[in-house]
Amino acid sequence: MELSDSVLDHLRHVAALPDLAGTRYELEREIGRGGLGVVYLARDRQLDRHVALKVLDSALDGEAQLIARLEHPGIVPVYEAGTLPDGRIFYAMKLVAGAPLDGYLAGAPSLGERLRAIRRVGEVLAFAHARGTIHRDLKPQNVMVGGFGEVYVMDWGVDAVAGTPAFRAPEAQLDRRSDIYALGALLEFVLPRSAAPALRAIAAKAMNADPTARYTEAPALLADIERFQDGLAVQAWSEPWWHRWRRFGSRNAVLLWPLVAYAGVKLLLFLLRIL
Amino acid sequence: MDPDTAIGGPHGHFPSTQLSLLEAATAEGLPNEALDRVVALYWKPVYCFIRRKFRQDNEDAKDLTQSFFTSALQRDFFARFDPAKASFRTYLRMAVERFAASQHEAAHRQKRGGEVAFEPVAEQAATTGSPEEVFEREWQRQLFALAVDDLRTHCDGCGKQLQLRIFEDYDLAASDRPSYAALAARHQIAETSVTNHLAWARRMLRGFVTERLRGVTAGEQELRKEMRRAWS
Repeated sequence: MELSDSVLDHLRHVAALPDLAGTRYELEREIGRGGLGVVYLARDRQLDRHVALKVLDSALDGEAQLIARLEHPGIVPVYEAGTLPDGRIFYAMKLVAGAPLDGYLAGAPSLGERLRAIRRVGEVLAFAHARGTIHRDLKPQNVMVGGFGEVYVMDWGVDAVAGTPAFRAPEAQLDRRSDIYALGALLEFVLPRSAAPALRAIAAKAMNADPTARYTEAPALLADIERFQDGLAVQAWSEPWWHRWRRFGSRNAVLLWPLVAYAGVKLLLFLLRIL
Repeated sequence: MDPDTAIGGPHGHFPSTQLSLLEAATAEGLPNEALDRVVALYWKPVYCFIRRKFRQDNEDAKDLTQSFFTSALQRDFFARFDPAKASFRTYLRMAVERFAASQHEAAHRQKRGGEVAFEPVAEQAATTGSPEEVFEREWQRQLFALAVDDLRTHCDGCGKQLQLRIFEDYDLAASDRPSYAALAARHQIAETSVTNHLAWARRMLRGFVTERLRGVTAGEQELRKEMRRAWS
């Protein structure tokens, strides 16, 4: 038989839909598409709540088991994993109401809010690295910022077939320093045009082509961001003297302004006396 | 351009569990059943590709397509396929391109006594897609057409005519699809039964598509990739 274009497109669409017969879930609509699978909005009939249902084409994916081992407020918990009647693997996860990092930036958050998101991502990475797990495909689309400001790192352990080049470390053999590279790329991504050179330097150090020249671990990068926010010198940047003085002035403004005012008054009194 | 041929290769019914190309291959080459599967799926895409790429009319394109498959079967075409380098679909399309180009060139040299460069195909602008896209689209069309045939055969064999009719009424509708309520009234069943029958038919269809693909791929990894290409 000959299928028209419209019938063919319809058949392709319905063939791709997961058959949830025999599960507790009811399909509602597609909400995302990644390298290895599709994420649907589904309703859990037993608990009467919505979940994110990820359906994979590959039978080899171990993301669900991997996430189940990583219990952290910044990692979306997996409720259940299983196999559909057609052999595809699925797992149900908490539905995060929020936006991916790139969408979050469209709301023009402040620098502090942007850095806070990066620090949360870094904390999640540090947690995972301490347990011997690396992310492999950290990019803005894999970071969700929830409505209450909570940050989730998603799509764990997926060695993307065609990862986003801007966030992927150049080395072929990925390890936790490759995640540090991606974290630096994320920092660079969230920085506004007017960002301080010290922040750019932190991102650049993390994104060094030579893995040994990067931060050795995520907490070291986070510490540099924290130093910047506290008005201290960052390790990634040897600042010029005038910048150091300006930073000193900025940090000690409360002390310096009375001193300047006192010196001004003394000078004024001196001038009045000699005139 | 004259209308496309109605020939689409043999439409046989295949067992529900297919061997992959590599599993089916023996020292003497592919057995007939495995070859039939390849020809059934690829005859039409190859034919359309040749028509589009080399501006062949209906009969010439049919002849070239037939020659390609005959030539491929006579040579060690399947033995030279290396799944590490490309999918079988890509390997076959590139082989068709080389074969048709050499045949086309030889034919023109005979007629005009010299090498002939292919002219740009002006009519391509009027229709949609490059020859490669046409090949891909026809591959999808043929794949689903064969799977629908398989589904019909299966339904006839196991008395699932009602499920088939609902599938045909809804998923194969040429224009506006009826509502589930209208289908339920038409077949005098509950609306939930319409949903269940459709879900069953779609699950079977997906299974038949997968089986068809299994017969023309070299292993699980290629099969998964081709599945994604078929419906994403």
